[in-house]
Amino acid sequence: MVILGMILTSLLIMPSAFAEVAVIVNPANVSDINEKMIKKIFLGKQKKFPNGQVVIPLNSQEGTASRDSFNKNIIGRSATQISSHWARLVFTGKGTQPQDLASDAEIIKTVSSNQGAISYVDAASVTGNVKVIAKF
Amino acid sequence: MKYIKLICLALLGMSLLPTASAEIRFNGFGSVVMGQTLTHQAPFTADFYDVGQYSDKPSFKPETVFALQATADVSADMKFTGQYLTKGTDEFETELDWYYLTYSGVEDWTFMAGRRNIPMYYYSEFSEVGFAYPWIRPPANLYWWQITQFNGVHASYEFEIGDLGNTITAFYGNEYSINNKEMLFYDRLFGGTATSIDEVWTDIIGFNYALVGEIFDLRFVYFQNDRNRTTYNADGTTTEMVPFDQTFMGFGGNINLDMITILFDMNLVIYDNDVELEYPTWLVSVVYNMDKYQPFVVYSQADETHDNDPLGTNRWEQHFTAGVGVRYNLSSSAALKVQYDYFEDQGDVDNGYNYHGDSETIAVALDFIF
Repeated sequence: MVILGMILTSLLIMPSAFAEVAVIVNPANVSDINEKMIKKIFLGKQKKFPNGQVVIPLNSQEGTASRDSFNKNIIGRSATQISSHWARLVFTGKGTQPQDLASDAEIIKTVSSNQGAISYVDAASVTGNVKVIAKF
Repeated sequence: MKYIKLICLALLGMSLLPTASAEIRFNGFGSVVMGQTLTHQAPFTADFYDVGQYSDKPSFKPETVFALQATADVSADMKFTGQYLTKGTDEFETELDWYYLTYSGVEDWTFMAGRRNIPMYYYSEFSEVGFAYPWIRPPANLYWWQITQFNGVHASYEFEIGDLGNTITAFYGNEYSINNKEMLFYDRLFGGTATSIDEVWTDIIGFNYALVGEIFDLRFVYFQNDRNRTTYNADGTTTEMVPFDQTFMGFGGNINLDMITILFDMNLVIYDNDVELEYPTWLVSVVYNMDKYQPFVVYSQADETHDNDPLGTNRWEQHFTAGVGVRYNLSSSAALKVQYDYFEDQGDVDNGYNYHGDSETIAVALDFIF
């Protein structure tokens, strides 16, 4: 019984451990944005969308499941490799690290009110105020 | 150029006024490094510019550094950046090491004016930010110059070609290093009695071209400048060096494959002087990216050759450093590193160009950012 309970519990936990993450932009953003572009934006290598709009990348706070998943699946680098990369840009005046926002709700609010904003949230948090451009 | 410093400070002061809607961001970095040579043969120079040398007694002084950076928005398009730095080699005296204004009001352009590191080698601009690279230091036998900073202006233009990001930066500046620490050190090493030496690099003019792709980051640099030096002798006289032009070229970068990162830099410095001196230098490093561990190997070679060689030897100053180590990432803002370096001086013995001497060095570092 205990084993069965553990299996059932683990099944219940699994979906949240592999929760889908959605990359979101402002609904007014009509640029064609692919995964490569998202990666470059979050590494400070691309500062504008194809339509010329200046990008405002926003991160979920460190340690959140969505950030870990985004780092792994989209950026393809560890949190340390990413912060080393940003240290180089920040301390030579060549970039400003994306701002961290506290919650999915705050991210959605900020993205919905800034045309150039781009971020990611747990897919379950998405509302009609933002546009989903990728899911993973 | 001290006027630029004053203007920068005035603007910073203005932006700090309570009525101004300035936002000030503080960031910082630091490295606590302890090391020592394993042999009794020669000291190991870990920092040529500030003469940070390890002996066979463990020491924190040669490489320990702390920095605090403040960035203030002067206006919507202009910001001021100042970096306070304190180093063990300077007895932990704090100085405003970098200060510059950045203007980004014209689309695709960035203009900077103030004091910064000269963008010489690939790692020159962030050579003190230990957290930003895998090793304890960029190979010291390449980063050996008596001048590393300048007061100047930069204009950068960014554009994209397909998936590739391109940045071209033109720069111009001057550096008057009064009482240069490294030059005085070498004067003493060769038995000189100078009281001080001024090292002057003027009309430093050149450009960088950076090409950034998904998995690589490449940079080409070219600049030239006039070199001059005044030595103040113990008897009150001065000696002026015969001035000459210097040309610097470099190609470096990194390639990020999944588990492996390859870092490299190739450079050539040419003196337009009577012996037509050339310094070809290069480094290559391979880093293996495991979860928290990043073991690495690094090799750097520096040579000195002369087209018009009065000594009849093709080996004047010549040395290599072979290093092996590991970076352990404690968190996304702190890393612990251990590195072993073997330095071999291959300089011409008969003419006294092996003055660095061979050494083996072990060092441990804690690098952090905030």
